[in-house]
Amino acid sequence: MNFTPPAIDYFALSPMIVIFAAAIVSVLVEAFAPRTIRRFLQLLIVFGALLTSAVLIVLNAGTRTVTGGGAVVIDGPALVMMGTIVVLSILGAALMAERSIDPVGDSFAARASSLPGSEDERQLTQRGYLQTEIWPLTLFAVLGMLLFVTANNLLLMFVALEIISLPLYLMTGMARRRRLLSQEASLKYFLLGVFASAFYLYGAALVYGYSGSIFFPEIAQSLTSKPSESIVVFIGMGMLIIGPLFKIGAVPFHQWVPDVYQGAPTAVVGFMAATVKVAAFGALLRILYVAFGGVRWDWDPLIWIVAVASMILGSIVALLQTDIKRLLGYSWIAQAGFILVGLAAASPAGLESTMFYVIAYGFATVGTFAVISMVRDANGEATNLAAWAGIGRKSPLVASALSLFLLGLAGIPLTSGFVSKFAVFVAAIEAGATWLVIIGVIASLIAAFFYVRIVVIMFFAEPTEQTASVVVPSAFTTISLSAGVAVTLILGIFPQPVLDMLSNAGLFLR
Amino acid sequence: MTGGQFGLFGSDPWWLVIGKAVAIFGLLVLLTLFTIWWERRVVSRMQNRIGPNRVGPFGLLQSLMDGFKLAFKEEVIPKAAHVGVYWIAPVISATAAFIAFAVIPFGPTVSVFGVETPLQLTDFPVSVLYVLAIASIGVYGLVLAGWSSGSTYPLLGGLRSTAQVISYEIAMGLSFVAVFIYAGSMSTSQIVLAQQPIWFAVILLPSFLIYVTSMVGETNRAPFDLPEAEGELVGGFHTEYSSLKFAMFFLAEYINMVTVSALATTLFLGGYLAPWPLSLWDGANTGWFPVLWWVLKVQLFIFVFIWLRGTLPRLRYDQFMKFGWKVLIPVALIWIVIVSIARLFRTDVALTNTELLVVGAVSIAVLLAAAWLLQVRSDRRADKRAQAEEDHARRASEVLTAASTGHPVPPLPGQRFEYTPRRSTVTVPGSTAPADSTEAVAPPQEDRDA
Amino acid sequence: MNVYTPIFILGALAFGFAAFSVVIAGFTGPKRYNRAKYDAYECGIEPTPQPIGGGRFPVKYYLTAMMFIIFDIELVFLYPWAVAFDQLGAFGLVAMMLFLLNLAVPYVYEWRRGGLEWD
Repeated sequence: MNFTPPAIDYFALSPMIVIFAAAIVSVLVEAFAPRTIRRFLQLLIVFGALLTSAVLIVLNAGTRTVTGGGAVVIDGPALVMMGTIVVLSILGAALMAERSIDPVGDSFAARASSLPGSEDERQLTQRGYLQTEIWPLTLFAVLGMLLFVTANNLLLMFVALEIISLPLYLMTGMARRRRLLSQEASLKYFLLGVFASAFYLYGAALVYGYSGSIFFPEIAQSLTSKPSESIVVFIGMGMLIIGPLFKIGAVPFHQWVPDVYQGAPTAVVGFMAATVKVAAFGALLRILYVAFGGVRWDWDPLIWIVAVASMILGSIVALLQTDIKRLLGYSWIAQAGFILVGLAAASPAGLESTMFYVIAYGFATVGTFAVISMVRDANGEATNLAAWAGIGRKSPLVASALSLFLLGLAGIPLTSGFVSKFAVFVAAIEAGATWLVIIGVIASLIAAFFYVRIVVIMFFAEPTEQTASVVVPSAFTTISLSAGVAVTLILGIFPQPVLDMLSNAGLFLR
Repeated sequence: MTGGQFGLFGSDPWWLVIGKAVAIFGLLVLLTLFTIWWERRVVSRMQNRIGPNRVGPFGLLQSLMDGFKLAFKEEVIPKAAHVGVYWIAPVISATAAFIAFAVIPFGPTVSVFGVETPLQLTDFPVSVLYVLAIASIGVYGLVLAGWSSGSTYPLLGGLRSTAQVISYEIAMGLSFVAVFIYAGSMSTSQIVLAQQPIWFAVILLPSFLIYVTSMVGETNRAPFDLPEAEGELVGGFHTEYSSLKFAMFFLAEYINMVTVSALATTLFLGGYLAPWPLSLWDGANTGWFPVLWWVLKVQLFIFVFIWLRGTLPRLRYDQFMKFGWKVLIPVALIWIVIVSIARLFRTDVALTNTELLVVGAVSIAVLLAAAWLLQVRSDRRADKRAQAEEDHARRASEVLTAASTGHPVPPLPGQRFEYTPRRSTVTVPGSTAPADSTEAVAPPQEDRDA
Repeated sequence: MNVYTPIFILGALAFGFAAFSVVIAGFTGPKRYNRAKYDAYECGIEPTPQPIGGGRFPVKYYLTAMMFIIFDIELVFLYPWAVAFDQLGAFGLVAMMLFLLNLAVPYVYEWRRGGLEWD
């Protein structure tokens, strides 16, 4: 028996290794560091690791390699996705680090395991307990996302999917206020997520059964080399993409989105809405373009249906919402539909525009949730739209920032959203899906209505008794907010450098 | 190993396989009957009694008669029981106990009616794993019995035994790893043969000790017989069982005892191989002799089981779980690390024995130093605690002088009265409500590390 | 004959014996009806009826079960490594030590957080 250890390119993997090591250290800090210095250490570890990882990703620019026994692939698109995830995580983590908005402390339950409304919880609040367990969870989630976009086989992709999901399920249930809502969201997310994971696994088994390999390039090879197409592999593929589609929140796998958006702590929503979408689209692109790139005509109709359903359902149901977080949840569903339009193009332009869209969307989302976390009344965050009436007159700066993000999400010119929607639709037209673009434009119009409605409420309604006030945050939220504003504007006015970077990133390594 | 062959295993004629299976079945039943009698006699001796001596020579038939008696007892099935599961639980327990024995080697290859065959029912490359798997299936018997009885005590007893068995199974499983590293195989017959010059109990002493400890926990025997803690839980999971169903659990417990003893013999005491002075004689490891050594070694372990029962009091449940999770498992993990590193140095770096001894001596010195430091630290802590207690006692005695008669009397004006903090939050009517009542409540558990 | 077949023969023997004993006990023993005798045993007091399915029990048992699964999976990885130890060499050792470290960290965490305490 001869055993040769697999060659591992440690430098190419270093962005992941740094995050993983930091996550382990972070758990140890939770276990051993005294409570008084835990927060300081955790922030040091989290931001240190994320920044180091970002630097390593930049240093890796131009790397195109398959390593770790063929399990991990580092190529241009992967590096772009990784970089986006890490930068968005820094902004999301900054939202979570905020401690001057909520008068009690931060926005997380003092101890997630204490029963809502129990004596235990009351005492913990009274003693001013603030937990820091959110940090190791964040790092593990980021690690999972980095692996998700670089996975080159079905198995690693599944492991990555679980590493993303499990921390997020927990983080969803950790809100300090309205805990029952938060826990319900967490449980829903968990149960539906497990269901989606099971679909993914079953699909992976079927695809493996057909192709005899778990590696994406070899699956692609077996699809083109085998003379007869098997129904098994297409059922398998359909089930396989349910995993990423669930994370994206595309219809019909969207049921968890509004509940999680409403129930989870706002900072966590800001973090996961931005990053998970990048990661899940990265994985979906890799599955469809690398493994199933040769049978594009077989999966295209599937993506069309999902895209149309997401755009229409998300836009129309969002019209009826009165809670801003829930509204943004439905808007997420609609946005997922728009991005899928670009993905369905299955061309280099499709890849490029999809990546641009998730980047633009991510920054706008982080900024949006930064603003939502600042608007408060006596009961905590004021998420009911009635409380937002006339906020623009009381705090014009913050309201303008939110308006910018919302117009960006709606796709108004001079914002990042316009460029990204334009790119996505152009890619789809080039690929011959003009009818899809028409539906997309109609859905955009409907979506623009509810985004603009919020702007109107903020600026053109009279402030009432109910109107919430805007709390002045610390530097953490301010940085996230400013970064969101800056990126949304820059990508809207000078998108060319980023578009060039994306086209230089090239295609997936097959 | 093509065609399901593994050495000579799998090549036996069908009559021999059936013969071996019946022999093992009979042996296990006989060993159970014998062990029950032997246990009662030995424990009696230890307690200055005589023990069963009426039925048969030396009372040897006592346990057989007890078995027959159980068959003629009324069978009581509680009306809240979940009937199907209630019936199947003892069958699962007993069956699992029997079949775990299939891979235990009794002796080397012998000739039976002209057929060369190993004295072992069967063997395959993962047979130790098989024993662990069957032990886990046996746990189903316990938990299902507890659950299906529809009664509180059996439920708690069943949960306890399950938690206990699975906790100790980890330590047990970890103790095997070093053996596999040295034997290079998971097959029982290969492991026995790998102990040809020296037993693993000698070179892997910590593994052996961990295994022996955890096997007692695994079989729910004293001092770890908490599921049957009659003071707390009546009879544990089999409280609601009677007649032959109860007998099946009893049988399973004793067979499990024999099985873990046989496994200990196989993995650590060289199985059927002759002990040292006898092994100098070549004939000791051939023919049917090894069966004798095997029986003696297994009986040695069984005697240890009985000895423990006669000597040690039962542990408290929290102490027991603490011992399993906080002592056995970490020690086993650290030992695996040490063994594997030492083995790698031995094979890859090719250290000589002297160098290895030096490395070993240094590591032992380091360990001793660490232990000494820990001891110093805990001594210092104990000193502090003693000091604190002394202070407290002094203060208490100062106050006690107020009541020098020894009877509690109300304090006279001017006398100091020490306030004793209480856990309860009850406020005495009329007195000012203690503002720190929340402080008196036990702090949340997380506080300990703050 | 397959190496696994003998297990089924022994298993059939053991199962037959156990099932026979369990069934025959219903016929050999006497039957004397008494209402109290068929109640759940509860130290002489009127028994508390249990809900179907056994009711609730402490969450500690679930924790123990989860820990068991984690460590059992660790064992499943350790065994093949141990058997092939000499072939895997230094690479295998380092990989396995990293794996053990990854498991040791949550173990230590749970220990510090009181997850291993029974009170």
